[in-house]
Amino acid sequence: MSNDPNDPFDELMRRSLHEEADRIEPSDALPEIRARAHAQRSAARRPWLLTAGLAAAGTAAAIGAFTMLNGPDNTADDGDAVAGSTTTTTATVVPESRTPSVAIPSPAPSQAPTEPPSTSPSAKTVSPTDRGVPEPAVKSTVVPVYWLGQQVGAQKKSAARLYRTWAKVSGRPAEQAVRIMTTKQPTDPDYYSVWRGAALNTVTRSNGIVTVDFKQLPKSNLDPDLAKVATQQLVYTVQGALQDNKTPIQITEAGRSSGKLFGQIDTGTPVSRAAAGEVQALVWIDSPSENQMVAPKVTVQGVAAAFEATVNYEVTNLKTRETRKSFANTAEGQKFSPYAFQLTLTPGAWQISVYLLSDQDGSVTDTDTKSIVVK
Amino acid sequence: MAQPAVVYEECVTHESSWDADEALTAVYTAHYTSLVRLGALLLRDTGTAEEIVQDAFVAMHARWNRLRDPHKALAYLRTAVVNRCRSRQRHLVVVDKHTPRTLPDEPSAEQAVLRTEETDRVIEAMRTLPEKQRTVMVLRYYGDLSEAEIADTMGISRGSVKSHAARASKSLRQLLEQNA
Repeated sequence: MSNDPNDPFDELMRRSLHEEADRIEPSDALPEIRARAHAQRSAARRPWLLTAGLAAAGTAAAIGAFTMLNGPDNTADDGDAVAGSTTTTTATVVPESRTPSVAIPSPAPSQAPTEPPSTSPSAKTVSPTDRGVPEPAVKSTVVPVYWLGQQVGAQKKSAARLYRTWAKVSGRPAEQAVRIMTTKQPTDPDYYSVWRGAALNTVTRSNGIVTVDFKQLPKSNLDPDLAKVATQQLVYTVQGALQDNKTPIQITEAGRSSGKLFGQIDTGTPVSRAAAGEVQALVWIDSPSENQMVAPKVTVQGVAAAFEATVNYEVTNLKTRETRKSFANTAEGQKFSPYAFQLTLTPGAWQISVYLLSDQDGSVTDTDTKSIVVK
Repeated sequence: MAQPAVVYEECVTHESSWDADEALTAVYTAHYTSLVRLGALLLRDTGTAEEIVQDAFVAMHARWNRLRDPHKALAYLRTAVVNRCRSRQRHLVVVDKHTPRTLPDEPSAEQAVLRTEETDRVIEAMRTLPEKQRTVMVLRYYGDLSEAEIADTMGISRGSVKSHAARASKSLRQLLEQNA
């Protein structure tokens, strides 16, 4: 190897390899690495730790997710309307309201929805009668995609909770939603998924069961609580896209039920939706979405299950550190219910944090944050 | 920020001032991107490089009690990444023999900023090198590692590093002069 520091060959090599390398900008993977690292440790021994203030660098996420408030009922509780239902009682306030066409899935010409999946490009290993039929494809729709996020103040129960983002998709909504959940990075750097690496095959329904078949399921082992929430992440996402939160989800791998998902969850029988209170984040922001450009007058909307209906918020200008603190009320206390508040902000980058306080000691128990840019 | 203070339920007492989580966060912040880039140079496939680097970080976290030192952690990560990339590459070569032209080639479209012609020629030329020679060159010119560090990372002798580097340089110089 040449040791002459001025050798033009060395210079050329160095410059070229650096130039080539600099073209690569990996997206943030710390939350995922942390989740996997903890999942691999003996979960009982070490509780989930929260490292606050992570350097969660640019997740210019691949998802064209945007948010809206979709009515209280979609998240209100079990058995209520799912996300995507047309009960837009409060959706009128939201600027980017879901297009009404959503509720009317227009089958793609070549794919009659009732036909057996001979038309399905992803042909399967099992006969159609066993597997049910795929959902109809649509031109364009908006589906909820759920992610895991830390529950900051958790002491006992599972520390991860479900958070929701929205994505615009075309094709078969539930399949697209699961694909995003298993292959993309969430727009919000505080969210993560333990489904990365799973490869979806099909989503089909037959009487009374929705079957989500994977070519490959995630191989990681998680602690029981996290495994439960991660499984519900799939259930919530699929049911949200299908606009049906009653039908249980059968999870299979290459057409067969495949033992314990995440080393914990029995997939021999279909999985039902867990109550929102058990798995859903107790507070989240639906709108604005992460990194959204907004006008100075911002309406922040979300859903919370808050003690005495109080949702606290703090808004910080990321440059000047100007901070405003106040609170808003949800429509109803103690159960999942929408809240909204208005802000008038100066141009620049701001961070909005909403949080719930413990009724016992006043500590922060749950939070969601969004960074936005005010035009 | 309304982020509350960190909640530790368990007192972590290591000799090092960092626990595994803090180490993970710190080392990740400092080196994740460059390790992915290193992997991508070796593999020419960013997605696989990301996977491999993430695996390496998970392994590093599990082993922090033994490493306890960010410098050792980085050396460990580098070795893990290089080893995994190399074995992946060997596997790909085998696969490639049977299914021609399926080698993952380029970073995905969104990252495909146009390279300069000069870089293009160097990267093309690097492709013709045998795997060991290419690895040595990437570690030397992108990783800025010394001969000894390259030897440690690849688990070969310094003499081998020297001879791989010499052969690689010779072929590259020839190729680049031809195409110049």
